[in-house]
Amino acid sequence: MKAWRIILAAAGILLGLFGVYRLFTQIPLSSLVALGVWLLAALLIHDGILAPAVVGLGLLLRRFVPDRGRRYLQAALLMGALVTVVALPMMYLRGSQPPVKALLLRNYGLDLTLILGLIAAITLSLYAIRVARDSNSADPDNRGDERQPS
Amino acid sequence: MPRERPRWWPSFSSTLRSTAVTSRIGLVLGIAIAILFVTGLLSHYQYEPWRWLPVPAKPMWGYRLTQGVHVAVGIATIPLLLFKLWSVYPNQFRFPPVRSIRHAIARVTVAILVATALVQVTTGFLNVLNWYPFAWFFPPVHRFLGYVLVGSLLLHIGVKLPDIAYGLRAKVSEADVLTEIPWDENPASHSNAGTLPDPPTPGISRRGMLAAAGAGMGVIVITSVGQTVTPLEPLGLLAARQWTKGPQGVPVNRTAEQAQVMAAATAPDWVLKVVGPRPYALTLAELELRTVHQARLPISCVEGWSVGATWRGLSLLEIVQQAGGTTDSRVQVLSLESVGYNHSFVEGPQLTAALLATHLNGERLDLDHGYPLRLIAPNRPGVLNTKWLARIEVLS
Repeated sequence: MKAWRIILAAAGILLGLFGVYRLFTQIPLSSLVALGVWLLAALLIHDGILAPAVVGLGLLLRRFVPDRGRRYLQAALLMGALVTVVALPMMYLRGSQPPVKALLLRNYGLDLTLILGLIAAITLSLYAIRVARDSNSADPDNRGDERQPS
Repeated sequence: MPRERPRWWPSFSSTLRSTAVTSRIGLVLGIAIAILFVTGLLSHYQYEPWRWLPVPAKPMWGYRLTQGVHVAVGIATIPLLLFKLWSVYPNQFRFPPVRSIRHAIARVTVAILVATALVQVTTGFLNVLNWYPFAWFFPPVHRFLGYVLVGSLLLHIGVKLPDIAYGLRAKVSEADVLTEIPWDENPASHSNAGTLPDPPTPGISRRGMLAAAGAGMGVIVITSVGQTVTPLEPLGLLAARQWTKGPQGVPVNRTAEQAQVMAAATAPDWVLKVVGPRPYALTLAELELRTVHQARLPISCVEGWSVGATWRGLSLLEIVQQAGGTTDSRVQVLSLESVGYNHSFVEGPQLTAALLATHLNGERLDLDHGYPLRLIAPNRPGVLNTKWLARIEVLS
């Protein structure tokens, strides 16, 4: 394993330095400054805003949502959040292009609502099945701590 | 520096994060980035091929496949990357923040990796959406930043290889919990505590979480890939392009108005100048007489959309041969457009297969598709299929 680690690290450093060299020799300084701002902003926005918000939401769910329903809500929120990340810029940019480009013509807000609605419907159905099963179960101790099949 | 962490120091108690989970997400992300790197380099090769290795004409759907994959995987990598970063977020809060020079270097290289990955997928997606809020020319920066990203990723894999090996061997449900305390320093960490019952996960399980994230990314791929897998267009709720909405069933990337060629392209006295050992010119009427070749060829954009179409037109090779060129000639085609991607080079197998198209899907070429004449060749990026042709130069 040690040889592999050294090979990977050495190759990575060389390739990374090549990229930095190409950036600094081919790209104008003003562009590099803007790129630097974006790189820094990406770190700050992710680590400082997005990630803490997700952690905070998780804590709120743990505190306020009962165990049995929480796993379904978590799954739905996770799926929905991932789709929303991709849909948001398209919603924002809808209609920004000449129509012949056939680009960003859809009503992405409606499309996202449809997808989120579908996700909600599926997870709610699964949750309802779970509740129905639990209420049929003779042993109340089993409620809510079975592992989720996936 | 105090050895004990302060009481206010953030701590993480979720049992969802684990080295086993992170290494699995990381494996998928690594494969995705490898695919993006290879398909990205293949795309770059289309723009700057070596003279001795011209771009092949077969398979004609080659670029359609590689660039469609590049953009589809790239879009799916946005949520994948965020998921990966979520899974290791507690690492940011290890105490003390910097333990040694070596640790400081490691943290800086990880920061470079994370920043380049985030900017790479974000700006790539914005380029697909034709939105440029960033003050640099996208293609070269995307390529060079790709080198930095893949380089720092290889370094990261080298540094983390023992953790990756442990994580991939461990069962998802049983491996240690990843918190702000490194697992190998944490006696209470699950894997270090011997055979214990599963950690308490009263909410979603790790498997359930991986399945939900996979499903979310699956939804994104299925609802966006219709812009290149044309039969899936009806499912394309999140597709940027809709090929059915383009004129003559083909989307447009640069309109005649944007290119400022409206007047020149519709002028009745338009001629195609052919420059070579035996120069000549073709009028609009002469074009029509020679429109005898037909081909079914996809047009595949670097921005990830593509669609198959039926093209009719003239054989570029015949035009070149009439001017004294051969199948070995290097040919430059030039547009009426004065800026941007207003020319391209054709040689080798693509020269033999290329058409100068006058008709698209049975109709005279739309002005936005390059009327009166455009290049169309197999296995070639859309932007290099130059539109509104004015001049053909046989260079050798």
